[in-house]
Amino acid sequence: MDYLATKYLRPRKIPSTACSGCGLGQIHKKVVKAIDELGLDVGDVVWGTGIGCAGRQTFATWKGDNFAGTHGRVYALATGLRIALPPNKKIILTVGDGDAFGIGFNHLLNCARRNVDLTVIVCDNLGYMSTGGQYGWTTPEGYRTDSSPYGMWEPNWMQGGRDVLNILREAGATFLARHTSIEGQEAVESIKKAILNKGFSLVHMPYPCVTNFAERALGSRRPAVMYKWFKERTVKLNERVDEKALGDIYFRTGIYYDASNSRPEFAEALRNRVAEIQRRFR
Amino acid sequence: MKRTLDTGNAAITEGAIIAGCRLFAGYPITPATEIAENMSRRLPQVGGYYLQAEDELAALHICVGASLGGLKAMTATSGPGYILYADPYGWAIGSEIPVVIVNAQRVGPVSGITGAPGQGEFYLSRYPTQGGNFETIVLAPNSVQEAFTLTVEAFYLAERFRTPVTLLADQLVTDGWETLIIPETEEEIQAMGLKVIPRRINEGPEFYPATDEIDIPPVVLGHNTGAACSDWTPTAEGYDTEEVEWQHKHAYRLIYKIRNHKDLITRYESYFLEDDPEVILVSYGSPSRVVKSAVKAAREKGLKVGGLRLISLWPFPDEIFTKTAKYLSVELNYDGQLVREVQRAMPKGSEVHFMGKCGELPTVAELMELIEALIKGQPLKAKPWEMEAW
Repeated sequence: MDYLATKYLRPRKIPSTACSGCGLGQIHKKVVKAIDELGLDVGDVVWGTGIGCAGRQTFATWKGDNFAGTHGRVYALATGLRIALPPNKKIILTVGDGDAFGIGFNHLLNCARRNVDLTVIVCDNLGYMSTGGQYGWTTPEGYRTDSSPYGMWEPNWMQGGRDVLNILREAGATFLARHTSIEGQEAVESIKKAILNKGFSLVHMPYPCVTNFAERALGSRRPAVMYKWFKERTVKLNERVDEKALGDIYFRTGIYYDASNSRPEFAEALRNRVAEIQRRFR
Repeated sequence: MKRTLDTGNAAITEGAIIAGCRLFAGYPITPATEIAENMSRRLPQVGGYYLQAEDELAALHICVGASLGGLKAMTATSGPGYILYADPYGWAIGSEIPVVIVNAQRVGPVSGITGAPGQGEFYLSRYPTQGGNFETIVLAPNSVQEAFTLTVEAFYLAERFRTPVTLLADQLVTDGWETLIIPETEEEIQAMGLKVIPRRINEGPEFYPATDEIDIPPVVLGHNTGAACSDWTPTAEGYDTEEVEWQHKHAYRLIYKIRNHKDLITRYESYFLEDDPEVILVSYGSPSRVVKSAVKAAREKGLKVGGLRLISLWPFPDEIFTKTAKYLSVELNYDGQLVREVQRAMPKGSEVHFMGKCGELPTVAELMELIEALIKGQPLKAKPWEMEAW
């Protein structure tokens, strides 16, 4: 077994319950690798998840403390937890795109506004794949899913001049990055920075779903087809490409915004404020 | 002891602080807003945290998250917010997280009338979330002082049973001004019969044992106990499982940890039941105060009338309905909620009648009219609140 798995993950949860060919494990490993490279121990991290593929498959894999919130509300739950936990405990959330950018978007934005010290890894399989493959808020335009049999026609958070990371930046997030799961160490480095930011960090990580997304959208369950599709669309932020030539979605990867440690962290600011009020009333 | 004149909202705030509540998250809503306002002023003074959430879903989730981190937490709302609690309420029931929830009931479905009392969430407080397979604990104060003591008790029960406890108040109790006596020392707290227990931490490895035992410490994260808690059916260690057998065990625990220790929860008040009265008035919350006056007035007239006031609503105290009588359920709604439970719990040969008021209290005169009619065996006059079918 992988040394990272031996050190940080529970044997009971290995092998993963994800479908064979799923890209989620690539993200999971990168997060654990980032934790390891930062020299963090099992007890230094509390691991939370949401609902859906990302939530179910990563829940209780961590050797330390684990929680899984209701669909889309884990950000609010983690806000309460953040206030109660010592500041040196890292809270890392692995959640899905529906959880973060759909049902939980309001709570996510409010976490960004407050700059709550959380590291949110959005494991994006481009729709609701756990329920069989319905379109979501990052499903590329025109692609078929079980609920967009004639093609995804609703505006998503990713195309048409919109980028969900811009919204989060405006909301007050202090670290934002995007990497596809097929990227290597550069993604690990971004996750490390996200964890080190004492504030709200989010790494958006699109990953291949071969069972449901690829089957409907690309007409094949062969992993090679889906991974090739991802590779063609994974483009570094500063890389010059002719976007019109592809005429499709691009995942622009890299660090979008790094204002790490530039704004007061919410729980710390709250603690300081309470301490100051207490002093006044003693 | 500190003796003041204050509102139910203030009483709930002070009760929570004495019980050890150190986090409140809420969303402004009439008539519970003052609890949030009081908390925002009082909590920082004692080293606690006040948060205004983006909505009620977030408010209770923040409380549950804080409790999961070891802080005692509370939220307060009214009907339209209480319904939004459904999601985190279920999470807290399933993951067995102690938290206290106040509902200052107002009248009507949806927003209804914001400044009028109601009792429309009697059943909602029994089934505040989906899925079934659980019991809830619900306490209902009828005075400012009792709002204080029951808040302390709500925290106590929440810790022992590791579950959310609802304080089901109404607008008259929360907004009303009355004398409030607050204990100031440990001895005074004990003298008032109040108990406070600190948060304990479950060390594992069995976080969700399939037992009806209480006093099992809840999951607290951040202590590297290897805890796992989620919205899914848990194994004893907290792993998510699809095995029906574990669902059976979980359901057994959530239902019977409460049912099998009901004696620790049941609280009620009875008056004039010794001589087997012909008519017994049943009520809870603010209408119970008018009911008490009406029962006394009827006794003065020589009528054999008694009263039962429920202080704990859920689990429903079936065992206190021992007398065969004509029961009259007096409630602040027109659809009749408590009346159904009375009908179920009353001994054979009893009758149950219903008197509902909407947004206002009944008067002693109105109740007297009904009591006299019931004793004489006359049909009750047809009024909007009357439901002969009962």
